Parts: sequence; structure tokens; C-alpha cells
Amino acid sequence: MTARSSRSAKTISIAAMVSFSLVAAACGSDSDSSSSDEAPAATEAPAEDEAPAATEAPAEDEAPAEDEAPADTEAPAEDETEAVPTQGGTLRYGLEADVNGINPASSSLSSPGLMMANAVFDTLAAFTPDGTVVPYLAESVTPNETFDVWTVKLREGVTFHDGTPLNAEAVQVNFETQRNDPLVGLAVRPFFPAEGAIEILDDLTIQFNLIAGEGNAYLAGVFAGQLGMVASPTWLAATLEDPTLNQAPVGTGPFLFDSRSEDSITKFVRNDDWWGGDVYLDAVEFLPVTDPDTRNELLFNGEINALQTTNPASVGDLQDDDSIQNFIDENGEESFAMINTSVPPFDDIRAREALAQATPLQNYRDLIGLGIASDANQGFTEDSKYYNPDVVQQGDNPDRALELVAEYCAEKGTDINTVLGESAATCTDGKINIELQWSGPSVVQTRIAEILDEGWDNAGFNVTFDELPQDEHILQTAFAQYNVNTWRQFGATDPSGDNVWLLCRSISGISLNWPRLCDEERDALLLAAQLETDEAVRIGQYQELAQKVNDAFTYIFFTHTIWDNAFGEEVRGVCDRTNADGEPLLCATSGRTWFDSVYIAS
Amino acid sequence: MKQYWLQRLGAAIGLLLAVSALTFGAMNLLGDPLFNILGPTAASTTPEDLEIIAAAEAEYNLDDPLPVRYVKWASAFVTGDFGVQFSSDGQPPVSDLIKERLPRTLMLLIMAQTMAIMVAVPWALLAASKADKAVDKISTITAFLFIAVPNVGLAVILKYLFALKFSIFPLIYNASDPFWSRVWQMMLPAISLALPAAAIYQRLLRTDLITTLQEDYILTARSKGVSKRNVLFKHALRPSLFSFITIVGITTGALLGGSLIVEQVFIIPGLGSAIVEAILREDFPVVLAIVMIVTAAFVMINIIVDLIYSLIDPRVRTE
Amino acid sequence: MSAATDDIAETRGAASETVKANAEGAAVKRTLGIGFWIALIWLGIVFFAAAFAPWLPFKDPDANYIQRGERPPYPPSMAHPFGTDQDARDILARTAFGGRVSLTVGLVAIAMGMFFGGLMGILAGYFRGWWDRIFSFIFIILLSFPSLVLAILITSLLERSLRTISLTLGILTIAPVGRVARATTISFTEREFVLAARTLGAKNGRIIIRELLPNVVIPMSALALLGMGVAVVAEAGLAFLGLSVEKGPTWGKVILTGAGSRDLQKYPWIAIIPIVVLFFTVLALNFAGDRIRSYFDAKETAL
Repeated sequence: MTARSSRSAKTISIAAMVSFSLVAAACGSDSDSSSSDEAPAATEAPAEDEAPAATEAPAEDEAPAEDEAPADTEAPAEDETEAVPTQGGTLRYGLEADVNGINPASSSLSSPGLMMANAVFDTLAAFTPDGTVVPYLAESVTPNETFDVWTVKLREGVTFHDGTPLNAEAVQVNFETQRNDPLVGLAVRPFFPAEGAIEILDDLTIQFNLIAGEGNAYLAGVFAGQLGMVASPTWLAATLEDPTLNQAPVGTGPFLFDSRSEDSITKFVRNDDWWGGDVYLDAVEFLPVTDPDTRNELLFNGEINALQTTNPASVGDLQDDDSIQNFIDENGEESFAMINTSVPPFDDIRAREALAQATPLQNYRDLIGLGIASDANQGFTEDSKYYNPDVVQQGDNPDRALELVAEYCAEKGTDINTVLGESAATCTDGKINIELQWSGPSVVQTRIAEILDEGWDNAGFNVTFDELPQDEHILQTAFAQYNVNTWRQFGATDPSGDNVWLLCRSISGISLNWPRLCDEERDALLLAAQLETDEAVRIGQYQELAQKVNDAFTYIFFTHTIWDNAFGEEVRGVCDRTNADGEPLLCATSGRTWFDSVYIAS
Repeated sequence: MKQYWLQRLGAAIGLLLAVSALTFGAMNLLGDPLFNILGPTAASTTPEDLEIIAAAEAEYNLDDPLPVRYVKWASAFVTGDFGVQFSSDGQPPVSDLIKERLPRTLMLLIMAQTMAIMVAVPWALLAASKADKAVDKISTITAFLFIAVPNVGLAVILKYLFALKFSIFPLIYNASDPFWSRVWQMMLPAISLALPAAAIYQRLLRTDLITTLQEDYILTARSKGVSKRNVLFKHALRPSLFSFITIVGITTGALLGGSLIVEQVFIIPGLGSAIVEAILREDFPVVLAIVMIVTAAFVMINIIVDLIYSLIDPRVRTE
Repeated sequence: MSAATDDIAETRGAASETVKANAEGAAVKRTLGIGFWIALIWLGIVFFAAAFAPWLPFKDPDANYIQRGERPPYPPSMAHPFGTDQDARDILARTAFGGRVSLTVGLVAIAMGMFFGGLMGILAGYFRGWWDRIFSFIFIILLSFPSLVLAILITSLLERSLRTISLTLGILTIAPVGRVARATTISFTEREFVLAARTLGAKNGRIIIRELLPNVVIPMSALALLGMGVAVVAEAGLAFLGLSVEKGPTWGKVILTGAGSRDLQKYPWIAIIPIVVLFFTVLALNFAGDRIRSYFDAKETAL
């Protein structure tokens, strides 16, 4: 491989990771521009959405499920399932950020990317509104008793947009491509054995073998997320040669890629031969509008029909408008400050606790959350069955912070904070020197930094600002070249999907365990919980986990991310999705919706 | 005469070299080229990464001393090879970016200059013909106001008033719309640039007109019965155009700077926003390419202005 | 641009003022005018507020004065005369403290411009020859960069401190001031009193300092005031692009906070009030500079 292609590969994967994070970030408080740091929303790895495979009762956590979707729809006609869908029309969708490539096997897709992917790709399985997983592109998804062997039977007679047939081999190519990708692979490799992860049983049946003994009762959820999207193997092979093809995806979905204009407007047109039935829209157009205010204006003016946003102020405005249908999801990620434990001063838990205590939580929540994004103290919302009511996010306690700072500086004030420089001491004049990093330029992120600094500066910290372009920010975080940054994470539908951010095995040169905290006990809990089918026990395990995370002071939780997919009143059918057996499916989650059942009323 | 133009050409080339050298030097010395190309891998020490680093160094001649790298870059540049965009997925060539973005900024600048001139000339004629009367005094104050208002402020206020509150103009620029829609979308941004420029032009032209109007031959024409209007247009305007043209040429530079701000406020994906993004990402090839294009444009404009000037006014031909 | 066109423009400028006097039908005694003094008073207020901000009864510019139960931003009121921004920070305080940065940047910029630009311009104009070639070349290079691009380039590569930004904008002021210094020096050098001084055997240094400098300083000062306005505006531009000083308010940052479409519509005071302050300050600087220039020009041509 020449330097150029190897660099490009790395750059792409890193850029992917970045855009992933970005998206995650963008999803965060006030996605101003495709900046807003934040963490990569569940890198799909063990996935984004994991719901109890076969059995489990509906977990509430599947966003739209309870909290919004059908219930939230104001448009009267929406509720009439008798209404006859009209054929035709183009849906114009405003996205938070631009997407450079839509390849589920090699791009870390953020919310805008996943949305576009929803038009072109189908997933092997899908979530229902109550959080169970049912087959979708696949005919069946069956685990063995120990949940470490999963058998997927595909549907017959499905072809990709380029004519390649859908078969077990195609799925294998997808899996291998994912696993070999430097970035996406990070989320796949820890869970599968090096040899024998895939077995093809017949033309339409494929078997996934996890690492023996490390079963995952909730793996089906993975098949409902990015890693379950099946792309044409012919196209996948072509993208390895020519990465620019990532912009022209080929899948089995209800829409085909049509064109991408100069200003990143991506257009998809109806796939008349879609296996899943009738598709009503003529085309879907995606338009990146990084400024949330502008995005709202466009919807109010009718220049676009739909948008996604996580900016609390924008969400408030959309909810106030009666002509807009809002699909809210609050069960996704959380926004927090994230601390790197591998570099002084934060290798010492006293310094970490000091930072937490010094944080002006109430101010952040009032000014940024605006009462619209609810307060968070752990990775679960209060509605979640796994919620631990005893966990309290420490903060707003400058006196305690000052005590801890004094203690730390007295003992370790001469350690070197390598993030600030080769000879930068951790303490100067009794204050701890740290660097706050975020991705910009972003008005909201800058506001957040200033709010945090106001609290931290008055309680024992000297804060240096470091605003970086997204890509760099994410890279530096992955390589642990930060003290504290602002991030978003923990959006998996099933909590086992968030394992990759916490496990010891994720730590290496690049670490998806961003704070690089390795706790063997915690690891054991995580692996046990992913296998546990007894709800009561599982709840106990995750509650214990939430407390452990809280005790480690690696995250300072602010708010739950609130996603709003807003539609003009002419848009119908957003939540009429079903699978081949007629099961209604989840229609809006973490800022993305699907398009197979959507139509525009005339 | 030929001497003079050869000198000018030489100076122009020298200028371009100096500007490019400075920019190249600044970015390479103050920034970290290896990091920009490879990211944190640049600091890694694993054998696999070290290979990648070595390959990148070879490809980009990073081992060579700065002047050598500069020469290599310059020779590639001159033949039209602007390099690739470091920070974009797939690393497309810089010329793609330029081709995409330049027309928009060009449209903005042309619209702004046209509007500024169209406003300034009648305004100046009016003020000069009614020198020191109320009309003139009011127009002086107005001109002052527009010169003093910062680009940032004017753009924001115009956007607030005419795109939001009164919804006369559209809010965003959409590159895939048909030509005339785009022109309409550019109106407000162009106006933000045009108003201060128009004020400057007006002030200067008015002053020149008044001076010219004092000349003897004007008096002669008037006494011969030539109407005031004819005097203004036919006799006074022409000589005053010299410095007017000069200032229009020079102001193009200020307009380009202003377009950076305006493109941010109105979210227009033009050359201005391209260079801002490129600088933030330390995407050297893009920054260098845009700086060179802009400088070359300035130099050309200056030469053209001087050319016109010298054709019209023989006094100026020798330095 | 050729020196010849420079000179012609300069002379025209001067002529216009005396011409104006004639157009009015009578020789009008040139005064600085009431406008000048109003401008000076405004500048005085702004400078005073900025310079003594830490000791004046302003609120803390960075503190969040949130009234729980009432979501910010708060419109202008007794407690907050200019209102607050979305993070409940007092805009009056931020404008006053922001002035410290913006005005410092302006002052450093013109100080550098006058010192280095003046030095280079006078030397170039007095000695001509190689001095002139080198310095003029430097001026042209500096002028060929769109200034904002140069400013962005430098501030993004170096740290974003007050020092860097002031120096950067200072560098950009050198060329315009230098060119005026050069042109003025040239026109004065040809005057009789300089020739006289030379014949009397005065050394160059003495001539420069005693004869030229006082005369060159005046048009330079007028230009410097204008330049200060430009520097302040440039800082606002940089802040708008996210490239101004890292911490603490500056006028540009304060404007940027309120410049989003939604905030502009719902809470216009956040951006509009600092824009007005910035505008009047720049207007005052421009106006004062212009009055000074025409006052001294008229006196000159009256000679």
C-alpha cells in the first residue's frame, strides 16, 4: 500500500470516527455546527440498539416507544390509519451535519449518516416500539441456549440495487469488512474469536459465533443497528479501491442513491422493486444545515419538510408550533464532561472528584438544558427500568472541591501534566492546571466552556481552553491527549450495547474506553449482565454498575440528550412501519426516522 | 514605457513569490505538517505506524529542508497542481474545491461592486451638484455612518431586518438552485458588502467632482451655456473617474476580506468560508492555493487599474 | 499602486477642503467643529469605562446572574441596564470589560503602525533609493494580503492571546501608515525649509527629527485614529470567526453571542447593543480622524 492509500484509509477511518463523534456531539446540546464534541454515539459496535433478543419484555429504553412517536403526533390525519397514502412527492430533510460517506461497514455513522443509511439499507432485524427485536430483512434470528451462537436465516429473492443477490455470502462479506476496518472493527473484534466467527450453513443461512463462554443475550439488537445493515458486496469491494464511492451507497432499501450535489444535497429515489412492499415517496433529499436556528426557520417556512435537532432551544420552539409534528426521543445519550485518567492530575481520584464538585451543574442545566433536556446523573433515564435512584451526580460544591484541590496539590503538585506541556506542573499557586478541550467553532460549545470555567476557576482550577476542529478533537481524545472534554455517550437501546466504552479490553493505542479507566470488577459485571436473562438480577447488576461509574468520577453528567424529529403537517405515515409479518416497528430513535411508510398528503 | 511594464511585471512576480513563501513558511514552521496529514499517528511509535510516517514523509518531502520543499511546492503549483485537501475524506484535489467555491465568491464580489458603483455614482453626482446644501450634508453623514459600521454589525443587522423580521430575502444560500434564485439569495450579503464600499466611493468621487468643477474649463463651458447636467456628466465626471477606478480596484481587496465575515453570517459556501475552514484545520494546500489566487487577483487588478490610468493620463506613465 | 497616483489623491484631498471653503462663497475659518468634540466625549467615556472597569461598579462580566425560575436572557432593566445574554451575563459589564481588549488591540495596533510604519515611511521618503525600494516592497507585500486572511492565518497558528492578536493587527497597520508617512515625507522634503536647513549644513538626523517629524506626525495621527477603528473592527471580525482572545469578553465575542438567527429575533438587545457601542466608537474615531486631517490640511494649504 502506498503511503497515500494507507494514509487515506487511516484518514477515512479516523474521519469516520470523528464524524461519528461529531455526530454524537452534534447531537449534543445545541448542535451548532458539525462540531460540538461529544462522543461517538455508540459506535454501533455491540451496537447502538440492543434489545433482548427473543424473549425479554419490552424495555422502555427504546426511545420513541413510550415517549413520543404516535402519541406526540398532533396532525389529526396522522391518527387515521385508514387514510390512503398518496403516491409521489419529495421529502426534504434537514440534517445536523454533512455526511461524507455512507458505508455501514467502514464509516462510523452519526445520526445524519444513519438517517441516510435508513433510506438505502435494510437491517437484518428491527426494534418494535416496546423494545423487542423482530426479524426484518432476515426471516429469523435465533440464538442457542448459551447465547454465543446466533443463526440468521435470510429472506429469499431479495437483490441489491445493483442486481447482486442477497445471500449468506453477502452477509459474510459485510461482517468481514466491518471487522477488518480499522475503526469499525474496534467495536467488533473484542467480541468475536479470530477464527470461525462466521459459518455459512446454506445459501440463505449464516451463523455468528461469539467468543465461547461470552454469550450476549441481547445481540439481536446489534442486527437492528448499523452493524446489521447489509450492503452490496460488489459495492463494498469497490469502495476499498475507491473510497469516493462511499458517497454512492448500494443496499437493499426502499430508496436508491441518485445524486449528490455540490452543496452536499444527497438525493435518493424510490426503489420500485423493494422487497418490503410499496414505497410512496418519489424521492428523499437530505440537506445538511449546521446552524440549528436556520434549520428551524427552513421548516417553519416550508422550505424543508422535516428536520432532526438536539438543540433544546430549537426543540422548545418546534414544540410550541402547532403545525409541526414532533417525535421526541429522550432515551438516547447523555451529555457530560469526560475525564482522562491516564494523565496527571486526573490519574488521582481526588482531583477528579474535585473537578466534579467544582462543576456548576445547576447553571449548566438551566442555561443549556433549558428545562427541555432533562437532568442526568447516570446513563439511564428515570423511566428506565435499570435506573438507580440512589446515584447522585456530585457537583455544585466548591468548598469540597477546594478541600480536595488543597489535598492533591500538597501531595502531588509537582507531577507533570503532559497535556499542557513537557514541563507543566499540575499545580500552580495552589490551583490545579488543566485543559478543557472541545470541538468547534461552535457558539454553544463555547458557551458551555465558559459556564464550566466560571465554576471551575472559582473552585481551585486554572483552566486553559483548547478548541479544535472536530477531527482533531476526536483523534486527540482517542489517543488520550486531553485532561477533560465535553462529550456524549451511552445511547444504546440495550445497556450491553454501551459495553465497549467501559471495558478494559477497549484500551490500547486508540481507546474507545475514552477515560481509559480499567476496572476488572466492572468488566466482570458488564459481561455477566450481557448474558443475564433474569430481569430482576439484571436490574441489580446495572444499578450496581451505575454506582460504580459514579464512584469512579470519570464522567460528570449534565443532561439527557433530547432528540426531536420534526415534520411539517403534510408529512404522513412516519410511524406506520411494519415488518413482513405485520409487526409495527420503532419509527424514530436518536434523531433518525425511516422512510418506507412515509407519504406526503396532497 | 516597456521598461515600466516589465518592471511592474517583475515586481508582481516578486510579490507573488514573497507572499507564497511567507505563507508556506508560516504554515510549515508554526504548524505541524506531519500531524495535519496523519493525525495522532504522527506521534505513534508502533512499527506499523512508523512505516506510515516514513511513507508520508517521502511523499510530502518532509525530510527536505524548508526552502527545498517550497521550491517543490511552487513548481507543482505553477503547473496547476494545487495538491490535495488534507482534511477531506478521500483527499480530493484542491482544484475541485476551488472550482466549486470560487464562482460563488466571485458572484458575491461582482454583485457587491456593481451595486456599490451603481449607488455611488449618482449619489456623488447629486452631492457634488448640490455641494454644501442640506442634501449634501445629509449624504455626508450617511456616508460616514456606512463607513463606520463594521461588516459584522451591518451583516447581522441586515439579516435580522430583511431576512428574519420582514422576510423579504431568503435565509440561506442553496447552490443547487437555478441561477436567478441564487442571485436573489445573494442580494442581502452583497448589499452588506456594497453599502460601506458605496459610501467610500461616494465620498471620494464627490470630492473629485467638486475639485474638477472648479477648473477653468468648466467655467468656460458653463458660460457658453452648457447645461449644468451636461457639465457634470460630460466634463466633470470623466477626469474624476481616474481615482475612482483606482479606489474601486483597491477596495476589491477589502471586499474580499469582508466576504469572509459575510459568508459566515449568511452561511454561504464560498472561497471565504473555505479558507477559514482550511486555516482552522491547518489544511496547508488549500490555504496556500486560496492565498495565491487572491494575491494574484489583487496584483492583476492593480496592474489593470494602472494600465487604464496610464492609458487615460499620460502624466502618470513614468514612475 | 504607483506613487504618482498616491500623491495626486493626496493633493486632491487637500485641495477639496480649500475648495469647499470657496464653494461656500466665503473663506470659512476652519474649526474642528462640534461633531469633533462630541466624538471626543464619546471616546472619552468609552476609554474611561474600559480602563477603569475593574474599579467601577460594574458586575462581574463572566458571572452567570441566573434568577432561578426566570429563564435568561433578561432584557434591559434596573439591575442590568444593557440586559443579559443567554447565559445571564451582564452585557454592560461585558461591554465595558470587552472594551479593554478591543481598545488595547486598537492602541497597540496604531502604536506599532505609527512607530514602525512611521519609521520605515520617513526613511523611505527622505532617503529614497534603496531604502525606498525595500520599504515600499514590504509595504506592498503587507497590502497585498487581504488583511483579515493574514490575521486569521497568524492567530490560528499561534496561541490566541491578547498579545498575539494585538501584534498581528499591529503588523497590518504598518503598511497603510507607512505609506502615508512616506508620501508626506516626500512632499515635505521638497519644501524650501528643508532645502534651507540642508544648505545650512544641518545633518540628516536633525532635519528628520526637527523639521519632518512634527509635520509628518499629524497626517499620521489622523490616519492612526482611522486605523484604530479598523483594528477594533478587525478584532470583532476575528471574534466572529471564533479566533479572538481565548478568555474573557471582547466586543466581537459579545456580538457573536447574540448573532444567531433565533437569538437575533427573540432577544435582539444581546447583539444590537454591543454593535451600537462598537459602531459609535468607530464612527467617533473615523470622524475625529477625518476632522483632524482636514483641519491640518487646510492650515497647510493656507501657507
